[in-house]
Amino acid sequence: MTTLAEYLKERRDQEWRAELRKKLKGKERTNIPRVKMPEVDPNERVKFQNVEVNLGLSIEQAQREASRCMDCVNPTCIEGCPVQINIPEFVKNIERGEYGQAASNLKLTSALPAVCGRVCPQEKQCEEQCFYTLKLKKEPVAIGYLERFAADWERESGSVSVPECATKNGIKVAAIGSGPSSLSFAGDMIKLGYDVTVFEALHEIGGVLKYGIPEFRLPNATVDEELENLKQMGVKFETNFIVGRTASFDDLEKEGYKGFFVGSGAGLPRFMNIPGENYNGILSSNEYLTRVNLMGAADDKFDTPVLRGKNVAVIGGGNTAMDSVRTAKRLGAERSIIVYRRSRVEMPARVEEVKHAEEEGIEFMNLANPVEYFADENGRVNRMRVQYMELGEPDASGRRRPVPIEGSEKDIDVDLVIVAVGVSPNPLIPACLPDLKVSRWGTIEVGDNMQSSIPVIFAGGDIVRGGATVILAMGDGRNAAQSMHEYLSK
Amino acid sequence: MANLTTRFFGLELKSPVIVGSSGLTSSVEKIKTYEENGAGAVVLKSIFEEEIYFEYEAETNKQDLGYHNLEYLDYFDYEIKNDKIKQALELIQKSKQAGVSIPIVASINCHSGSEWVFFAKKLEEAGADAIELNFFVLPSDAELEAAKIKDYYFKIIGKVLMDVTIPVTIKLSPYFSDLARMVKELSETRMAGITLFNRFFNIDIDLDKKELVAANVLSHPFEYLQALRWIGIMSGRVDCGLAASTGIHDHNTALKMFMAGANAVQVVSGIYKHGAGFIKELVKGIETWMDKNGYQNMDELTGQANLQKVKNPSWYERVQFMKHFGEFDGE
Repeated sequence: MTTLAEYLKERRDQEWRAELRKKLKGKERTNIPRVKMPEVDPNERVKFQNVEVNLGLSIEQAQREASRCMDCVNPTCIEGCPVQINIPEFVKNIERGEYGQAASNLKLTSALPAVCGRVCPQEKQCEEQCFYTLKLKKEPVAIGYLERFAADWERESGSVSVPECATKNGIKVAAIGSGPSSLSFAGDMIKLGYDVTVFEALHEIGGVLKYGIPEFRLPNATVDEELENLKQMGVKFETNFIVGRTASFDDLEKEGYKGFFVGSGAGLPRFMNIPGENYNGILSSNEYLTRVNLMGAADDKFDTPVLRGKNVAVIGGGNTAMDSVRTAKRLGAERSIIVYRRSRVEMPARVEEVKHAEEEGIEFMNLANPVEYFADENGRVNRMRVQYMELGEPDASGRRRPVPIEGSEKDIDVDLVIVAVGVSPNPLIPACLPDLKVSRWGTIEVGDNMQSSIPVIFAGGDIVRGGATVILAMGDGRNAAQSMHEYLSK
Repeated sequence: MANLTTRFFGLELKSPVIVGSSGLTSSVEKIKTYEENGAGAVVLKSIFEEEIYFEYEAETNKQDLGYHNLEYLDYFDYEIKNDKIKQALELIQKSKQAGVSIPIVASINCHSGSEWVFFAKKLEEAGADAIELNFFVLPSDAELEAAKIKDYYFKIIGKVLMDVTIPVTIKLSPYFSDLARMVKELSETRMAGITLFNRFFNIDIDLDKKELVAANVLSHPFEYLQALRWIGIMSGRVDCGLAASTGIHDHNTALKMFMAGANAVQVVSGIYKHGAGFIKELVKGIETWMDKNGYQNMDELTGQANLQKVKNPSWYERVQFMKHFGEFDGE
C-alpha cells in the first residue's frame, strides 16, 4: 500500500510539476508579495446582509500567488489540513492555468472546497505550516484564497466535474444532520459505492453553514452549489426529517440502513447564567443568526421577526460573535460592540473576521465581561454592567486567563445583547438512544475511528467535539466514512 | 427526655448535630440517612471556584485540539460553573422531594469577590435553606497587611449579605491576630451564625518519596480544644449563634462545646469513621447526659461554662503553662 508520503512524492515527480518548478528561481518566487484579497468597500457592504465581503482573486492574481509556492519536497502545509488536501498539487495547477484540474484535486479529499476557502482558519492550519511561515518568517502562500479561487472558477466555468464513484454496492447508510461533517461523510461514502441518504431536521440542507454563517461571509448559493455536486454524485437528501422523531433508528434499520453517521451538531445555545440574562432583548447568537441567515429576517419579503437595536453588545470573541456583531451593524445598529473578557490576541475568531469587523466600525471592548443586566419598565434590557479584567497566567489553552479586577464595574447602555459564548451538543440523538455513551457534557463518545458505543453508529463534528471548525468536522466525517467502510466490509 | 431543639444558621434545628460540609452530603440517600439518624441539618460539599478552574484546565487538556475547539472552550468555565449549580439544585430539590425536612445548607469557597456573590445568589435560587461561607485567605503573601485581608473579608461578606435573603453563616479559621474582635464584628453584620473553626487541608512530607503528601485528612479527638476555648471566650459576647467544629468524636466533646457556648456542633470525621450511626450515638449520648444531669433543653445547657459564667475565667485566656507544668513530672 502506498503511503501518503510516497503518493505525494509520486505526484510531485510528475513531469509538468518538475518543469514548472524550473520556470522561476526560488528567490524570484519568494520575492513576490502575498496577494491582497479584493473586498467590497466597508461603507458599502455594511448596507447589505447578503453581499459577500471578499470578492475573490482574479486569474492573474491567483496565478501570481500560486507561483509563490515553492512546491516543497516536504509539503508541511498538508500536515496543517485536517482533510489532507494535496495543497501543492492544486496550487501548481493554478500556476500553470489548469484551474479545473485544481478544483478536481481539491474535491478528491474535500466535499466543500468553496466553503472551506471562505471559512477555514487557514492562518492556524495550512498557512501556519507553510514554508514561508516556518522557515522564511514571511507571509504564507494564500492557500485559502487559492482554494476559493479554484472552486469558484470551476463553478463559474459551468463545467463542474463530478468525482468518480465506485460501482454501487447496494448498502444503505444514513448521515444524520447536514452540516460539514455529514456532508464530508456522505461525499466519501458515495465515492466508495454506498447508497447514502442525508437526513436533515430543518427545511434547508447545510446545517451550520446555512443557519450559522452569514451570507456576507458564505453565500448560501455557494453552499447550494457544493450540495448540488453531492447530489450529482448520487447522495440523497431528506429535509424536515428528525431522526428519533420522524423515524427511529429501529425504523431506519428496518428500511435497510446498515450504518449511521451522527453529525447532528451543537445547536443548543449556552448562556452565562448571570443576573438579568432572561430580560427581553438578550438572546443567543444561535437564535439571532438563524433568524437572519436561515429565515430571512433581514429581508422585507420574509415575515420572520428579529430584534433590532441601536446599541448592540455581543458577548464573546469567536467567529460566531463576529458574525453576530457584523449582522447587527447591517441591521442598523448605531453602535455594535464586541465585549470580550480577554485581549485581542486571545480571541478565537479568524484574523480576517476581526479585520473586517474593525473596518466596518465594530467597537471592541476587550478585557471586559458582563456581570449583570438591567431592564426598563417593560422588561427590555437597557443597561449592562461589565467588570474589567486583567490577564493572569496562561491556562491550558496557552492563552493568558482573564482575572476580574474587583471594584472595576461599569455600566453601559445597551438595548440588544447577543450572547455568543459557545454552544452545546444537540441532545436529541443521545436522548433517544439509551445505550449510546455520552460524556457529562452531552457529547457522543467515540473511539479514534469515530465509532460510538453502538457499533453501527459513528459520529463526528460538533456532536462529538462540542464545537469545532468546519474543516475539523469534515475531517471527522472522512475518518468516520473510512471506519464505517471497514466495519461494513468485514 | 431533654429537648435538643436549637438555633443555628438562623433556623430552628431539631438537633444540635450538623453534618459538616464534605463528600458525606453528596447524595439524597445519604442526607435522608443522616436525618433518620438524628442530624439537625446538613451542609453540602463546598463549591470551590478553584476546582472549577482545575476542571476547565482538565477539559481543555483533554480536548487537545488547539485552535479548532477554542471557540467551544473559550467560556467553558461557565459551563462547569453552571453544571455545579445544577448539581446542587438537583440534590437540594430531590432531597426535599424525598421528604428531607432538616435544613440543607449550601457551602461556597471562592477567590474572587464577584464569584462569592454569584454562587451565593444561585444557591439561594436553587433552594438552599442557608449559605455557609467557607472563607479563608491564607496569609502567605508577605506583602499583604492584615488590615487589607480583614477588609477583604468584610467587603465580600457585605456584598453577599446585601444580595442574598436566606441566612448566611461563616466557617472561620483561627488565624486572625484579632480573632475575638473579628468574631464579634462578624456577628454584628447580618451573619446568622459563626462556626469555629474550619479545619484545613494540611500537608506533610513523605520521607521515603521525598515529596509533599496530604496529612491527616480526618481530625483526631484531641483537636477540639482550640474550638472549645474560643467558643467559651466568645459565647455571650456575640450577636449570632456559634457552632463548634473539628475534633468532635463523641457526645462528651459535643456536650463540652455546648457548655462552652456552642448552639450546635458540626461533625464529619466521626461519620467517615463510624458511618451515619455515629450521629445516632452522639444524639443519644447527649440526651442521656442531659437527662441524667437535669437539663431540660439546650438553652439551659448552652454557655453554662463560658468565660462569663465560670468561676475561674482567666483559664480561658491562659496560654502559658507556668506553675501547672512546672510541677508536671510526666507521670
